Amino acid sequence: MARRITNVGAIAFILLSAVPLMAHHSFGAEYDANKPITLTGVITKIEWTNPHSHFYLDVTDDKGKVVNWKFEGYNPAVLMRIGWKKDVMLKPGDKITVFGWQARDGGNWAHSREITLADGKKLFFGPPAGTGDGGNQPAVEVRP
Amino acid sequence: MKRYLLPWVLALALPSFPAFAQTKGPANTAIPRGPDGKPDLTGVWQGGSTQKGSWEEANRGVGVGGSGRDPSAPLTLSSNDRPAGREGAPYQPWAAQKVMEAFNRRGIDDPTSLCLPAGLPRTVMLGLFPQQIVQTPKQIVILYEYMNVFRVIPLNEKHPDDLLPSYLGNSVARWDGDALVVDVIGFNDKTWLAGTGTFHSDALHITERYTRVDKDQINYEVTMEDPNVFTKPWTLTSTLMLREGTRLEEYVCAENNIDPERYEKLLKDGVKFTR
Repeated sequence: MARRITNVGAIAFILLSAVPLMAHHSFGAEYDANKPITLTGVITKIEWTNPHSHFYLDVTDDKGKVVNWKFEGYNPAVLMRIGWKKDVMLKPGDKITVFGWQARDGGNWAHSREITLADGKKLFFGPPAGTGDGGNQPAVEVRP
Repeated sequence: MKRYLLPWVLALALPSFPAFAQTKGPANTAIPRGPDGKPDLTGVWQGGSTQKGSWEEANRGVGVGGSGRDPSAPLTLSSNDRPAGREGAPYQPWAAQKVMEAFNRRGIDDPTSLCLPAGLPRTVMLGLFPQQIVQTPKQIVILYEYMNVFRVIPLNEKHPDDLLPSYLGNSVARWDGDALVVDVIGFNDKTWLAGTGTFHSDALHITERYTRVDKDQINYEVTMEDPNVFTKPWTLTSTLMLREGTRLEEYVCAENNIDPERYEKLLKDGVKFTR
């Protein structure tokens, strides 16, 4: 399975994704909205935990090397309310494709946004880029 | 106890019968009312949204947890967002600089990243997690899924005189016509108000107005006063939307909170994340 990294045009991307927040913590401190990625792989482990859930994905690159990626997403209650069924819809061994944004340090970990399941069904697993880091507009007026 | 509860239970049940609602209903029969004629705010609500319907109906499509500034993002407000289109917070110059420092550090200093309560009005205005209001004639209890915190709000009582500083302060309420007015003091200085970096002092005084305008919606207005950091009071408005069929869940934030450790590593490794 090929590892694919999709780079979107910077300006278009900023317009579309430079947004605001979630609860618990800052997107922008850990993840880079300019590093969108789409990976296909096989789930190896899932942590349905607060404040965030995580899943681990074995991704095989063009040379056949397998890399295990860690993805972060919503907590279990939020996932349940948007349609996820724990242990039913996402299990170790499942082949999925995930879109998200890579960590700032360039490591094999990322923030997940949308998962495409093996049957083609698409569901969000995490909030948009920028969530939790204050968005574009500070709470105070900025004067040049 | 049973006798005490009966009229309340009847009052909650009977308005669903049109004939009763017509004879009982004064101005707006669409607003559920308690036996005392006051609006009944009981229910599970979602902050930061204006969409009617169940949780699923209101949050389908793009999901939940954004701010609406991105056309592809959810319309609900999240917890450290500045409410769209609202005036800036009237911080004193030194304090505004401190807010900007936190903004430029992309919220890495957010108290909630340590799993501390989000405080007020942030906890009320966020859209990612539901909140449940339980109203009785003498007190109102609000349960918040986010950080699993609660407020017990007596009606027509004074604040105690032995307050300990706290994350959600001490609340007392009274009715002003159809608006529930909640007065909150006794805060610590460890939370953000509404937006990244919006710190305050322990002199914070909050006045909230909850006005149920119909079956689906409560208009929420909050005024924050803090002479130590503001030049004048700061008022924000938002809405709470009824989410019938939604139940509150546990949120034990400390269960697997790896972010402080990650932040420490990013800072140590010199990863640039600031604006």
